[in-house]
This record gives sequence, structure tokens and C-alpha cells, in this order.
Amino acid sequence: MVKLKTVVILGSAVVVGILAFLYFSPSEEKKVRKQFDLLSQYMAKEPGEDPFSMANRIQNLSRLFAENCEFKIEGDPLYSLSGKYSRQEVAGYALRGRSYFSNLTLKFYDLKVQFPERGLSQVRLTARLTGRSNAGEQAEEIRELQCFLTKIEKKWLFSQFEVVEVLKR
Amino acid sequence: MLLKRVVALEGEEVEFRKGVLFVNSEEIFEPYLRSPCNWNLPSRQVEKGCVYVVGDNRVMPMEQHVFGQTDIQRILGTPLW
Repeated sequence: MVKLKTVVILGSAVVVGILAFLYFSPSEEKKVRKQFDLLSQYMAKEPGEDPFSMANRIQNLSRLFAENCEFKIEGDPLYSLSGKYSRQEVAGYALRGRSYFSNLTLKFYDLKVQFPERGLSQVRLTARLTGRSNAGEQAEEIRELQCFLTKIEKKWLFSQFEVVEVLKR
Repeated sequence: MLLKRVVALEGEEVEFRKGVLFVNSEEIFEPYLRSPCNWNLPSRQVEKGCVYVVGDNRVMPMEQHVFGQTDIQRILGTPLW
């Protein structure tokens, strides 16, 4: 009788543990959204940023990208990027881009996350970049983007960014 | 965010002739327009999963007005009145 009681208690504990794990572990969508939060966090720049903090941010930012990430962002030369780039190249462009600004924010809105196939996430969103250049000019760019993230070694990594037309005549 | 009027649905043909909106070759009565315009836009079919949106203020040249076909999933809501 005691043995049966122990088995029931242990079984219940295992079931509760599994349910708690499933409940508290983030969904794939939350993991994808988290990558955008991190990208926003690492791109942000405050006036007087120290070199150590900057290097740390750029290193962390590069880890969000797949080894070959494709960009199809055209328009203003300051914000344009087309082609496939390695992590190091992405880090270099991010470093260069941030250096134009004394302060910078990159925010993502209205994320629509889909999973067209296993290990691939497609996200439609509005990206808003605001900042002040070193020359004191105010900058603001708003773009609609389609992004793809690929799951590599249990991490969702950015593998494509493309500007999409919101309104097509 | 943009506030626009949906004037045509997927599969419909939309065009402007001398400022008049035509959907599937039928003239659309638009009493909400405050001033006439002279836009001309050749007929085009709205693609699957999209709608065609245009603003009510059409006093400016067509090139300066933000309008066209958009993915229906981009619509976030409707005005209350």
C-alpha cells in the first residue's frame, strides 16, 4: 500500500514537472520575438558610449545573425544594404552605421511571426530608426520589412532582411 | 500608420479616369470626397490576399498621394466613426 502511494506521489510530481516545464518554457514565437528585442537593444546608442560597451554590443549583435545573412534594403545610401554578408561584415556595417550617430534607437512594431517550414521563421514588421547624427541632424526612417530567421543549433538567427512595399499602385 | 479607405477587394479591377474611380469598370459614387481630382491610373487587378486603398483627400497630384494595393494582413483596424 505504501509502495503504491509512493508511486502515485512520484508520478504526480513528474506530471506536474512536465506541465510546469511546458508552461514556463518560451514558445518558438517568443524566442523569435526575443531576437528582435535583442537586436533593438544592441543597436541602441546613447551619447558618450564608452568603447568597451560599444565593442560588447557589436559582438553580441553579430551573434544574432546567421553566418550568411542576405539584405535587400535599398533607398537612402546611409541605410542601404544589398547582398549576402558574413557575421563579421554585419558587425562592421553596424559599427560603421552606429558611428554616424551620437544617439540611436531601432524599434520594431507590429511583428507578425509565421513558420512556413520547420526551422524557418518569417516575420513581417515595421522598423523605425530614430537618432541624431554627430553633426546634430535629426534622423528618422520607417520601413516595412520581411525578415527570415533560421534555427541553427537551437538558436533563431537572422538570415534575411528585405524591404517590402506597403502600398503598390 | 496610415488611415485609408478600402475601395476594391482581391480580384477586382480598379482604375481612375479623370479623377473618377472605377471598380470592375463601374463608376463608384464617392460622396465623401471634398474636392475633385484629375487622376488617371490604368486598370489593374487586385492580387490575392490584398485590398486596394486610397485616401479621401485627393487634392494633390497622384504622384504625391500614398495609395495602392496592400496585404490584407497589414490592416490593423477600422475607424469607429
